[in-house]
Amino acid sequence: MTERPAPAKLELLVRREDDEGFEVREVGSAVGFINSRPHRIAPESFELAEMTSRVAGERRYILKNTVTDRFLLLTAHEKFLWELMDGRASLQELATAYVLQFGEFDFEIIPSLIRKLQRAQLLTLQPTSRLRRALAKNRRRRIVNAVETTLFGLERIVVASREVQPFFQRLHRWGGFLLFTWGAAVACAALAVVGALAAAALWHDLDGVMAGFGGSAVRAIITVKLLFFGSLAAHQLVHGLACVHYRRRVREFGFTFLHGFVPTFFVDVTDIFMTSRRARVVTAVSGALVHLVLGAVWFIAAARAPAGFFQAFATASGIIQWQALVVSLYPFCFIEMDGYHVLVDALGVPTLKHDALRYAGKLLRGRARMRRGREAALWIGYVVLSALSVAAFVAFNVWVIVKATA
Amino acid sequence: MVTSPETLAFLREVRLFSAFTDPDLHAIASRLRERTLRKRQVLFREGAPGDEMFIVRRGTMLVSKEITGKVEQVLVRVDAGDFFGEMSLLDGSPRSASVQADTDATLLVLGRESLQALTDQTPHAAAVFFYSMVQVFIERLRRSTLQVAEATRWGLEATGLDVESR
Repeated sequence: MTERPAPAKLELLVRREDDEGFEVREVGSAVGFINSRPHRIAPESFELAEMTSRVAGERRYILKNTVTDRFLLLTAHEKFLWELMDGRASLQELATAYVLQFGEFDFEIIPSLIRKLQRAQLLTLQPTSRLRRALAKNRRRRIVNAVETTLFGLERIVVASREVQPFFQRLHRWGGFLLFTWGAAVACAALAVVGALAAAALWHDLDGVMAGFGGSAVRAIITVKLLFFGSLAAHQLVHGLACVHYRRRVREFGFTFLHGFVPTFFVDVTDIFMTSRRARVVTAVSGALVHLVLGAVWFIAAARAPAGFFQAFATASGIIQWQALVVSLYPFCFIEMDGYHVLVDALGVPTLKHDALRYAGKLLRGRARMRRGREAALWIGYVVLSALSVAAFVAFNVWVIVKATA
Repeated sequence: MVTSPETLAFLREVRLFSAFTDPDLHAIASRLRERTLRKRQVLFREGAPGDEMFIVRRGTMLVSKEITGKVEQVLVRVDAGDFFGEMSLLDGSPRSASVQADTDATLLVLGRESLQALTDQTPHAAAVFFYSMVQVFIERLRRSTLQVAEATRWGLEATGLDVESR
């Protein structure tokens, strides 16, 4: 038997922005593979038909490439993956969706399906996002070129480490485990109640409280936002602690610019998908609870403080923390935050946003008819609720700023 | 000029000078300059003009080739006793790759004029020098062929492309 060679690696040298230094990164082909975004061929180039086996009674599907007349027989699991291959989801995301859908993972199914689809010429591989493709197309325009260059530069700013498991284990051992006890849950709930009472008391005289900013409202709000940014790191740390609490591995922790323009901290806790639903829910929710606790603390401090700048500052900080709590846990906002993951886990519809947007888009363009049934109801419900929620969120923020600066 | 006993002892171990007699070694040593670099310091960038080659006396140098933006592929690490930069020395072309220090490093620098003088004054030593250089070129050519194959394998693995069954 011939021994399979170890996966190929590329050694890359990445220069720093200031050109003064560099770092060397080893990139395995496996990293390239899990980040690739398989893209099925155009809809008019294939047909998919269901076929029920008379012997086993299993559902099977025939996938035909109408251009080459090649056929493939797909299982229901493979059909699920095929439908996700729209050039936007990476293989890593496909694997996550698969686990959420079927509660298990077959390590060979994705590579073997990719091979089958490529052989039948049913796939192209798209490494870039739609935004990046659109920018690349219009690169000749100076402004587009500048945006693309900026995004490219920002995207490369990643301060992260893959060797974080020992750090999270130590953090968990040295007291992090206390966050996952009944005592912590009760304390959190009690703090939330006291914080809510304090918020309610402040609400009665919100105009007076916000007047405490005086003439430096804009500067103060910017400081509040910057301070809030630090709490995002705490949010991600707690996700990591939860992952370690359930004896799974934290793969990476760091800071980056999401999509090239959203500064954010991130933690890779995908290993949690290999454990129970309870663990997944706790991991998703616990990070968001950081904002509940911090918000409550700010509100309590504001309620106890005399009228003035600090009270206004603490109130604004409390509002922004609780707003972050809602955004994190509220699933209907077109963003796949913690609450969204809990929702799709509970509904068993891992591709809810993706399917809902596609369906709504087709409806709006007149390319699909209204459908009945649970699936279509979920799609419409998700899009309508998300659209309303985003509008309400924007309106609320405008109102807060107007209130603070009036 | 670096003609200390330590330098001569080091040069005797360098493959390029393995067949040099002591007087020849003295002659070449007297034409070398020493240069030190801090870790991560860039010696030269791809496309820069150059007419010197370098022998690594201490430390490790990293040779890289630009791929896109600020990302470069590491081609090779050059350790003590090995050399680089000879292409620009011989044909005067711009540097074909960037070189930077992977660790604190000390280099011995041989310029075009010194090489010319070596060829004129000690033709036998120069012949041995160039013969050793050709042998190293052949090794590097073999290694780059392997590197191309490895990069292709990386691409196939990263895309999951199954060429065998096509």
